[in-house]
Amino acid sequence: MELFALEHKRLWRSTRVWICVLLCFIYCVIYGGVLSYQWFVFGNVGIDSTSPYKNNFDGYSAIQDYKAQADKYGDVWTDEAFQQMVKDFQTMEPPQQLQSMYDWQTVSSFLNNLYPELMDMESQTYQPLIHYVDTEKLTDFYEKRQEFLDYNLEVSRQNYLLTDEDVETLREMDSQIEEPYKYDWIQGWSHLLSTSLASTGSLMAPFLAIVLAFTFSGEWHNSTAPLLHTTKHGWRKLAYVKVLSGLAFAVELFVLIAGGEILAQLVYLGTSGWDTPIQLIKLVAVAPWNMLQAELYELAFIFLGVIGYAGVVMLFSALVKNNVLSLVFSLALIEVPGLLGFYLPVWAQDASQFIPLVGSPTDIFRMNMFHIFGKGVWMPWMLITVPVLIGIVCTPFAIKGWARRQKV
Amino acid sequence: MELSIDRLTKHYGHKIAVDRVSATLGPGVYGLLGANGAGKTTLMRMLCAILEPTSGEVRFDGKEVSGLGGAYRDVLGYLPQDFGYYPSYTASEFLAYIAALKGIPREAAKKRVKELLGMVELEGVANKKIKTFSGGMKQRVGIAQALLNNPQVLILDEPTSGLDPKERVRLRNLLSEYAGNKIVILSTHIVSDVEAIADEVFVMNAGQFIMHGTVAELAGQVKGKVWELNVPREQAHYWQEEVTVANYRNEGERVVLRIISDEKPSDGAVPCEPILDDAYLYYFGAKEAQR
Repeated sequence: MELFALEHKRLWRSTRVWICVLLCFIYCVIYGGVLSYQWFVFGNVGIDSTSPYKNNFDGYSAIQDYKAQADKYGDVWTDEAFQQMVKDFQTMEPPQQLQSMYDWQTVSSFLNNLYPELMDMESQTYQPLIHYVDTEKLTDFYEKRQEFLDYNLEVSRQNYLLTDEDVETLREMDSQIEEPYKYDWIQGWSHLLSTSLASTGSLMAPFLAIVLAFTFSGEWHNSTAPLLHTTKHGWRKLAYVKVLSGLAFAVELFVLIAGGEILAQLVYLGTSGWDTPIQLIKLVAVAPWNMLQAELYELAFIFLGVIGYAGVVMLFSALVKNNVLSLVFSLALIEVPGLLGFYLPVWAQDASQFIPLVGSPTDIFRMNMFHIFGKGVWMPWMLITVPVLIGIVCTPFAIKGWARRQKV
Repeated sequence: MELSIDRLTKHYGHKIAVDRVSATLGPGVYGLLGANGAGKTTLMRMLCAILEPTSGEVRFDGKEVSGLGGAYRDVLGYLPQDFGYYPSYTASEFLAYIAALKGIPREAAKKRVKELLGMVELEGVANKKIKTFSGGMKQRVGIAQALLNNPQVLILDEPTSGLDPKERVRLRNLLSEYAGNKIVILSTHIVSDVEAIADEVFVMNAGQFIMHGTVAELAGQVKGKVWELNVPREQAHYWQEEVTVANYRNEGERVVLRIISDEKPSDGAVPCEPILDDAYLYYFGAKEAQR
């Protein structure tokens, strides 16, 4: 324990670590959290905007306005509420319509997906459906949603080779969604779950790499490795302690960043709407989850991904003995799959999602299934378990890599 | 207590760094002398069990050291040639960290750190960052860390490099005092360091022990081959080209040359008492020794 405390303290003494933590906090919490809420995502859109994003620096009050507007439609998603929303949009002046963080975006996507037959194909108006649709025709929302889901399941069956059993599993999940949906202002949760939290893991990854890539290779860089290797505990126990210390750092960074983001979320968005279903964000999602459950999943995805990534980075560090190489490999692990993207064969694209912090937690909105020994498993479960398992598997090899006698 | 080396060999590809060296070391101070590249560091790293030999083995009290693992490292103190440290650590913090790695209980470690900092005369700067230290001060921190666990086997690779003459004398005294019934092995290419404290000297060249014995024995091997010759200054260059000159001393308009030669180099040459330097130069030649 004493050795762990000393090693952990040593890690935090590095200026590099403090700079990384600070930059990561500024990037994820201040820029991606506070400023996005106050300014360039939720700030009112207007000609007199104060940012290149065309938003004003008034996010907090704007969010209260969006919420108040949403309250007018009740707390259950019905055809009547839907119609009223579209009516209200159509009677508003264009500047107000521009204020995109009202739930117009969501409503518009519902219209395009569920009522395509109402589109005016002749006048070539090019305006979205929400501008001109006859609201009296917006009926049978849940039946329409079911048809849309059936269509998408069929597309997925053909494109993603879903089996009948997979489709049945997805239908079973969908059947558990409570109808009618509870309703509250959606755009806050949509931003949080689709953009903000979804990207947190990948934003943290480079900073984690810069800190942990030097865990073992740094000792060779400092020429301390031969000395440490000749101490009683330096051979293997230090390796355990280094791995634990690295994992502890990963957890601490996660707590700091996720904690900061949650705090910003609570201050700006509050807790209302936590029990609304995620189908309000994406209609074809089949997970019977509410927003809070989705957020917990995404936090778990980041947490386990961070642990997994830390394990892999420390393995590189133990194997290559060179700080630069260790860092390059660590960064390549998360960047290369994205850069190569479609150049990779499909199986490699699929496999790359299991690399820690490479996959996306937004898969909870999709209908992906993965097959293990012929049994279908919903992709999000794989996406949170495999990366952390990879990291855990890497740690004994990292310890072994450090504790081996030099051959050359 | 015995440290034995049996036909220890290390190859790096086709290059042979250490070539079938064998020795048996009991308590005492051993000097490992050789030019740069002679294989001293490679040998020492194998003695510390951090470098895997190509063949042969190192045994401590009859047991192979790599098999002893932590038990061997518990009795080992090592100062690597390129002693690394954490720049942001103070001397006492660094020693406390190494003490923890050596498994010394916290209270005992505190006491030992204080004691060693006094011994290497760094107590006044114990709380200053190592990165602010001079080369000699850093080397003294390195020596202190090697002594933390009161090792039975102390291996010091070039411990005097970077030390000024006063510090070197202090280190010699410290090691002589420390040695007692322990095995102390120090490598250097500075002959006088070894001469002053080593009970036995191993001279290495091209990965092999080419000489072994006490300082007196090794020096004795060149008895009758060391001469002093007093010549005019303008002839000095001629003699330096013709024979191995161990020393060159000005005396007014003339110079006194210390010459290593199997035969009397000149009628004016007078035989003199050999020292270890002479033996070293005799076997390596002046140019080789300067490498």
